[in-house]
Amino acid sequence: MRLKELWRDNRMLIILTVMVIVLTILGLTGMGTQSFVRTALSGLTLGSLFFMVAAGLTLIFGLMDVLNFAHGSMFMLGAYMGWQFYTNPTFLFGIVPLIAAFITGMSLLLVLQPLVVRWKLSEERQKQLPRLLNVVAVVLSFIAVRGVDFLGLADTAMVSIAVSATDPLAEISAQEPLGLFWFRPLLLMLAGGLIALASARPGDKTHSVDKSAVRKGWIGFGLLLVLTIVLVLVRESGPVAVLLMNGNLRFLLSLVVGTLSGFGLGVAVERVLVRTLYVRPFFIVLMTLGLSFVIREVVQLLWDPLAYQMSRPPAFSQPGKAPNLLAWFSGNNTTVDIMGVTFPSYRIFIIFLGVIMFIGLILLMQRTRIGMIIRAGVQDREMVEALGINVQRVFLLVFALGTAMAALGGIGAAPFIPVKPEMGDAFQMQGFITVVIGGMGSYVGAFIGALLLGMARAFGDYFALKLSLSPAVAEASTVIIMVIVLLVKPSGLFGKKE
Amino acid sequence: MENTLEVKNIHTFIGQFHILEGVSIAVQPGTITVLLGRNGAGKTTTLKSILGLTPPREGTVVYQGKEIQGKRAYDIASMGIGYVPEHRAVFRDLSVGENLKIAERKKGDLESKADFIFSLFPDLKRLYKLPGNHLSGGQQQMLAVARALVPDNKLLLIDEPSEGLAPILIQEMMEAIRILSATSTVLLVEQNFLMASQLAKYFYIIDDGKSVHEGLMKDLVGDEELIYQYLGTSMGSTGGKK
Repeated sequence: MRLKELWRDNRMLIILTVMVIVLTILGLTGMGTQSFVRTALSGLTLGSLFFMVAAGLTLIFGLMDVLNFAHGSMFMLGAYMGWQFYTNPTFLFGIVPLIAAFITGMSLLLVLQPLVVRWKLSEERQKQLPRLLNVVAVVLSFIAVRGVDFLGLADTAMVSIAVSATDPLAEISAQEPLGLFWFRPLLLMLAGGLIALASARPGDKTHSVDKSAVRKGWIGFGLLLVLTIVLVLVRESGPVAVLLMNGNLRFLLSLVVGTLSGFGLGVAVERVLVRTLYVRPFFIVLMTLGLSFVIREVVQLLWDPLAYQMSRPPAFSQPGKAPNLLAWFSGNNTTVDIMGVTFPSYRIFIIFLGVIMFIGLILLMQRTRIGMIIRAGVQDREMVEALGINVQRVFLLVFALGTAMAALGGIGAAPFIPVKPEMGDAFQMQGFITVVIGGMGSYVGAFIGALLLGMARAFGDYFALKLSLSPAVAEASTVIIMVIVLLVKPSGLFGKKE
Repeated sequence: MENTLEVKNIHTFIGQFHILEGVSIAVQPGTITVLLGRNGAGKTTTLKSILGLTPPREGTVVYQGKEIQGKRAYDIASMGIGYVPEHRAVFRDLSVGENLKIAERKKGDLESKADFIFSLFPDLKRLYKLPGNHLSGGQQQMLAVARALVPDNKLLLIDEPSEGLAPILIQEMMEAIRILSATSTVLLVEQNFLMASQLAKYFYIIDDGKSVHEGLMKDLVGDEELIYQYLGTSMGSTGGKK
């Protein structure tokens, strides 16, 4: 009886485990230990990256029925951000205060709302005013970003920063006149404030206002203001400090920066673009597809349509081969000997990163209240809402979490694949296939599916080479697996949704 | 005394279909009120409209003296309205315990209510760790009702609790609803006339999206003609659906 239940609940896992064991034995005997281990490790590396993309996709689709075609762009953007932070953070330190200033301005919404809803405006004006305010805000932002200097601020004193004369990193050209230095964030804050004003429904007396939110609004505004000022102040010294840091620490920080930028972008995209379209899921597909083009063009504009190679952090770049994983800890070698196979140590890190992310995701989904809500929401959103839970807020979190995971995957991949605008496309495609194989909405399915695909690619490449077939066989193998899975189990390996 | 819930002439559209064309209901505190009517008359939509899951386009819904129409469903639910949907929407991937825990509105809700809930449905205590998809239909229905009892709900909207249950379980469910109606007001949708007539004090008949009759349940039981007109023949005597 117990056995029967065990079989029913874990049928998929049992079948897969048996298959893996059989294939491993076949592979070990047929291919020889060395080539088998090498190919399997390559497969794990690929699978790990596929998982980082697919995990977010599957959660987002499972919970909110949104197919995010900009997911690969988030992967790519994460890689750019991390790489930029790692190699030359000046650009990021320059742009972050501007974004912070804009958000600070927008945070005034809660404070402004109780004031402006009381304004006496005709209905016509109520429509026109926000439109006008938004246009002015866009113009102000443009002026701020392009730095059009019509006030003669360029003549004001240069910023003095405390950089030692011996420091080779200090560049005079990086300095900006003091006036412009403060002028841009100030202008952007104003623009953000105008947008807040426009969205505060001026003159709309029917809108009920939460008085207690005003206090929260002031606190939020104050905190953001302090943050912005700090960011503006460190924008000259920050990059230097980062570059002088220990390379490994800098790499870890760039993982964090990449992930956070993915999270932030996810929040912005869900809030501004996706949220209004939940009633029309098909439009979301078009919108995210369009967004991916926009992101790519912007990236090409900012970084030129080139491919960059991020250097591996010091922990993975000492010449030589570590005889085993433990020895790598002290030697920090480029390659590690694993069961007689010389394998790049950084790829081991990628596998490790994927596993860590999977464990983190399990803990989040199984041990926390938010995970419980997500699991419930995948099955029945309406009922979750009927329990008094703000599902919209959960959507926002899941969307941002998904894009953050993709961005982390991107920066993780950056040291061994070229950083370029199209880098996310292939991963997005494989991510979608992974999600379909694993079952929409199942993160366990995404993990197994990603491993399956990674292995298929690696072993496909191996056999294509061995049997002198076209390498396209390996690429086709993933689609073939998808077709087989869909024929046997249309909802995917672990899918519950029809 | 002020009514717990007052629905005035609500009109609800689903897509382009005009489902409710003027439903008015008043629910007095501490009572069980039942909505009767044929399949597709709009009973479930009425419950969903009250909760904001299918927001009414016209009319007002007043709960404890406050107008709640147009608010978001989670806001309305948080004001103390529990919902037990038809087809027992328990979360299959969550254990029985998690199904109850997810309904908490503040920490400790479940702990303080656990004794009461398990005294109503002793089975659930035994099944606490089991995933929702392992429960039988009856157990799922118990769980769905129990879930609505976890937070402090003043009003319970219960949609067809007897649907698909064995007669012995219907008895158990009736007993449970009778007990919980001592602490919260209940608005019930029920096809099983026998069950409805034994539980409810007031009734409303909904027909074709409109509330057409109301009154005391005990008056309706004798009114064969009215029952025949709106509920069909089989309803009056035997109970049972279809």
